[in-house]
Parts: sequence; structure tokens; C-alpha cells
Amino acid sequence: MTLTPTASSAKSKAADAAPGEQRLPRTLLTPEDHLEILKQLYLARYFDVRLIKEKKRGRLRGTLYSSHNQEAVLVGSLFGLKSTDWISPIHRDMPAFFMKDLRSGWDNPDRRAMSIEEVCAQVWCKSGSPGRARDNWSHIGKKSAGIIHSTSMLAGTIPVAAGVAYADRLDGGDAVILTYNGEGSTAQGVFHEAINFAAVHKLPVVTIIENNHWAYGTPTHLEYPLQDFARRADGYGIPGSIADGQDVFDVYDKVMEAVDYARSGKGPSIVECKTFRAYGHGDHDDDRAAKYRPVEEVERGRNRDPIAVCKSYLVEKGYLTNAEAEKYKAENKSAGETTDEDFPPEVVAYLKRGVDFALKSPDPSPEEGGMWVFREGA
Amino acid sequence: MATVAHEVGIKKNYLTAIKEAIYEEMGLNPGLISIGEDIGILGGAFGVTEGLQAQYGTQRVIDAPISEAAIVGTAVGMALQGKAVMAEMQFIDFISCGFDQIVNNMATYHYRTAGEVALNVTLRGPAGAYGGGALYHSQMNEAWFAHSPGIKVVCPSTPSDAKGLMKTALRDPNPVLFYEIKELYRLRDIEEELPEGDVTVPFGQASVRRAGKDITLVSYGQTVYHCLKAADILAEQGLEAEIIDLRTLVPLDEESIKSSISKTNRVLVVNEAPKTCGFAGELVARINEIAFEHLDAPALRLTRMDTPVPWAKPLELFVLPSVNQIVELAQRLIRY
Ligand SMILES: Cc1ncc(C[n+]2csc(CCOP(=O)(O)OP(=O)(O)O)c2C)c(N)n1
Ligand SMILES: [Mg+2]
Repeated sequence: MTLTPTASSAKSKAADAAPGEQRLPRTLLTPEDHLEILKQLYLARYFDVRLIKEKKRGRLRGTLYSSHNQEAVLVGSLFGLKSTDWISPIHRDMPAFFMKDLRSGWDNPDRRAMSIEEVCAQVWCKSGSPGRARDNWSHIGKKSAGIIHSTSMLAGTIPVAAGVAYADRLDGGDAVILTYNGEGSTAQGVFHEAINFAAVHKLPVVTIIENNHWAYGTPTHLEYPLQDFARRADGYGIPGSIADGQDVFDVYDKVMEAVDYARSGKGPSIVECKTFRAYGHGDHDDDRAAKYRPVEEVERGRNRDPIAVCKSYLVEKGYLTNAEAEKYKAENKSAGETTDEDFPPEVVAYLKRGVDFALKSPDPSPEEGGMWVFREGA
Repeated sequence: MATVAHEVGIKKNYLTAIKEAIYEEMGLNPGLISIGEDIGILGGAFGVTEGLQAQYGTQRVIDAPISEAAIVGTAVGMALQGKAVMAEMQFIDFISCGFDQIVNNMATYHYRTAGEVALNVTLRGPAGAYGGGALYHSQMNEAWFAHSPGIKVVCPSTPSDAKGLMKTALRDPNPVLFYEIKELYRLRDIEEELPEGDVTVPFGQASVRRAGKDITLVSYGQTVYHCLKAADILAEQGLEAEIIDLRTLVPLDEESIKSSISKTNRVLVVNEAPKTCGFAGELVARINEIAFEHLDAPALRLTRMDTPVPWAKPLELFVLPSVNQIVELAQRLIRY
């Protein structure tokens, strides 16, 4: 496996900072952390391309909202969180459910996240999913793992995040809540109401805006008059920063600044991550998207694959040799062009475990449809 | 209307029928504006407004930000200025994000202005379950709005009704909520030739989808087809069900319901919304008010269970009304 520190940096120590990186949160990451981050990018990508293939073969129900080309937003924002922090992912963030708290060990049973098995059971619509397949795809959550359960209604979990943060603070906790939203979702009234509430009460809620430049078939200039959605923060008097969503370390820096700010009691902030949607809105939209999005725009949006950007940084830092970087070439390929050989074997094996579990997990029994409207015996 | 000109002898689906109505009305009424999420560049999530923006321009076919409250509210403002507005909810489930603008602003406008302001706004969107859409892509929330005085509520089950009712909606000076059944959009079995010319279907007139003398089945939308299938099964047993397709809930065609029951003396109401405070319950109450003396058995309803619509197929089918349940209840009422 190549993703171990190279000889020159085998000692686990904080990475050497280049000038200008001096005070950045990334300077506290070890070389191992850097390599782990690359491995997590592979994992997020592999999960996505595998599901795309399964969906194309007709093995999955519902709609797949690909996170291809947007993985750095997920990995970079999740990597610095504490186990006790909370997240609230949306439709495009499927990998986040099992990548939360991944740093405490991929196979650590006490990890505060969903397991790969649970997430696969959800995607395969089986009873082994946390929601027992009552709602589809990303509409799951897990209280004990610090994952808020989303609905379809965009931006609808931001006020919930504010409530979670408020209660945690009352209980003496120091949890930070990360909510994920597409740039289009920022037009919802509840987005404004919730962030305003969080700002008034200085709640530790960090709102990530995944600006992938399209909201279904609507481009950003029809969603918001300014180019930078981070400017929405101005109206609440809170910080709004912009990260290069293709650069996992820039996302890490900007999100960690917001997380530290929130944890220190200063209140909420917004981090806009500029990225680009690789395919259609959902898999049902791939063909139409090819018509409503100009080819040149798509090429431009995809020409900085987050895996490639990460690799070249690691090579530059001396954590990865050129030969090692060449070994797994998942970058700059569409889902259909990748094979398992493009990914580290432990990434492939990890997902296989999830899929095997999902395939064996039974369908929920019909009567469950009528259960759990209320908590009985109250 | 080059894109969807009338073609004789060609069967059209439910979606195309709605699309034709919108195209024709946009052509006939230069004061009609269409607004919604992804209705322009994309042509709508389901393609109902495909090509509409190319034909009528970005001024009249507006791609709105993802803001249901603003979509409804601006529609109200445009209508206040005398425009007619077609506003699409990408899925009818998302209408709840615009709830206040609908029930407090739009619905009450005519009433509170003592008739000064009538709002020609049609809110339309895909609705209904049975397709695996789960909690937030399956709803039938018509009862919320039937319960808000000032809104007409429409739910067609056939392509020709969909077209004729949509044309009526887009001309009606009042707010209309138009439930399109997405599982019917492209259903081949129900395709039909659409009537030639500018044909509308009036509100407040139910249609008898099958005549019978033993029991009346009252329904609308998707469950009309469950009733039709149940009627086939009952017919094999020599029992003749009459099927009333309401087409509009508000206004309600009480006459057709009453005259059918006066013949059959038995009635079962079927819809796919939750039971408690659903429109089926309203119908049962109305039937008792208008046709009690004709009833030889209690008026009953068959609805979804009082649950959301779950995703997994076994769960979804468990909570929704089925053909078999209609058959059993009908038999029980006939034997009563
Ligand atoms: C309140 C609400 N209205 C409409 C929708 C339908 N819808 C689902 S995703 C989407 C586009 C979201 O775009 P964006 O927020 O930019 O996220 P992206 O899909 O690009 O990640 C829309 C309109 C919804 N889910 N919720
Ligand atoms: Mg977007």
C-alpha cells in the first residue's frame, strides 16, 4: 500500500510549513494525516463510482445524487471534527454518513458515525439501514452518532442544528454542528431564519455551502445576485469565508477556522466551497444536463480533480513519491472509466464489506409501514 | 404552438395533455406568466414546461430561486396587477415551504378585500404515491388546502380531463391548486386522443367513469384506477359498481354523488391521503348530509393509514389502499 509516509517523513510529526502556511490549521496535521486524507478522497470517490455503476445496472431504487468531483468538500470539512461534533449532510453528501469521525479508525466499532454497512443497507433499501428503509438515500441520520436526520426540504435542518447546538451548550458540551447545503438551497426562507437565530445566540453552527454552480437546471446567477455565496454571512454579521472546493487542504483550513471560532463561543459562520457538479443533478438528469450545461463549462469545472490536486500537493510536500502517486489513478476519469485497480485495495475491500452486508440484509417487513408514528407507552 | 400542435388520431399521455394546455393558454393570454424552479432552462423536473421558455421568453417563463414562499407570494403580486400566473411546485410535497403565503395571503385575498381583488393563480405540481417516492415525493396534501377557504382544488385522472381542467384553472379568476398525479404522467394504458380545439372542462362537475347499480365508489386521482380494477373483479361476481371521479374537490359536485347513491344506496369513498381529517372523511360527512335517506349501509371510506408514505415497497404497499381492500369493503357494504 502506497499510502504510508514516505521514507523522508516517516516520523510522525507536524508537517513542515511552507512560508505563508504558518498559521494555517493544516500545519498541525502529520504526514500520516495527509496520506489518510488522500485515502479518504479515494474512499469517497470509490463509493460514488460504485453506486453509479450499480444504479446503471438497475440494482438500486431511487435517485443517485453524485458527489463526484466534490469529495474534497466532504473529506476536508469532516477531517478536523471531534467525535462529539454533529453533522447534517444533504442529498449530495452520501459519503459523509460513514466518513464522519473516520479518523478514529475505519474499523473502530466506537466510531461516532454510521458504519459502511448501515449506509449500504440504506442505499439498497434494506432493513439494516438506520431508518429501516422508511425514507430514501440521504434522508437518514443517527442520533447516537451525531448525525441529524434530513428531510427533502432543502435547508430544513439548519434550524434543527441550531437547536442541537443550543441544547448541547446548555448541557455543558462543546459540540460544533456542521450543516451542508447546496448554493441553491440558500434561497430558502428557513436558511435565513435559522442562521439569523444561530447568530443572535452565538451558536456553534457552521454552514457549509457547496457551491457546485448548478441547482438542478438553474445556474447561480438566477439563484443569487452576487458571485460569492459567502457574502450571505454579511447580513447576519458573521464570518463568511471561501474555500477552493477542489483543494481538500484549503477546505480543511477554512472549515477548521470556522469550527475553532464556533467552539470558542464566538458563534456561527458560513464557509462557501467552490466546486463543480460532475454529472446531472441526479442520475435521471444526466442526459438533460448534457444539453443545458455547455461542454466547455463542464470541462473547466472538472479539470481540477480533487484527488489529483491532493496528490500533487503531497508530492510537493515530499509525503508521496511520484511513483506512489502514479499507482492508483482514479482522478480525471468518469465513473464508467474507472476500475477497482484505480483504487487502493483497502478502499475496495471496505466498500465490499458494506455491499455484502446490504445484500444479505432482509427487506423490512410490511407491518413496519404502520409502526412508529408515535412512541407508544408514553 | 408549433411544439405541441393538435394531431388527430394520436393518443397522448397525461403529461402531454397538461403541457398542451399550458402552451395553448400561454399563447391565448399574453398576460399569463409561468414561474417555478427549473421550469425554464431545464423545462421542468418532469418536462411539463419543456420548450416553454424558448417559445415565450424569459420574461414570461421564469426560473425562480428555490423559494416556494417567494414563488407563491410573487405570483400573488403579479395577479394583483392583473396577470394570470401558473406557478409550479417541483413536487407538491414542497408546497409546505410556501404554506403561509398560500393559506393566509393568497386564499383570503378576495374575502378580506370584499371582492376587490381576485387572484388568477394556479399552483400546480406532481403528487401522489405508489411510485417509491418515499416521504417527501409522494404526498397528497389536498386536505390542507381544501380546508383553507378561498382555494379551488383540482385533481384529474385522465389526459383529456387534465387538459380541459388545466385550461379552466388558468382562466379562473380564483386561486387554484392543481394536483397532477405523477404516476399517471407517462402511463401508456391511459393515453387517449384529446378533444379537438379549445375545449375546457368545467369545475364542479364529476364524471361517471363506470355505471353500476350495486354500489357507488367515489374517488379522484390515482385511486380512480384502483376503483376501476376493483369494479372489474366485482363484476365477475355479478356486482356492479358505479364509479364517480370527482375531478374537482372544491367546488364539489354534490349532485352527481347524490344521484348515484339514490340508485345504488351504498357508497365507498377511496383516496390515498391519510385518514384523519382527510378529504375522504369530508366526503363521508357530506354524503350523510345530502343522501342519508338513500343509504342502506353506512357510508365508508378507504384511505392510506395514518402514516407518512414509506420508501421500501413492502412498507409503501402496506400503508396505501389496494384494489383488494376496495373489493372486500364493497362486498361488505353490498351484503350489509
Ligand atoms: C424546499 C425544496 N424545494 C425544492 C426541492 C427540489 N430540489 C431538490 S435538490 C434541488 C436543487 C438543489 O440545488 P443546490 O442547493 O445547489 O444543491 P446541489 O443539488 O447542487 O448539490 C431542488 C430544487 C427541495 N428538495 N426542497
Ligand atoms: Mg448546487
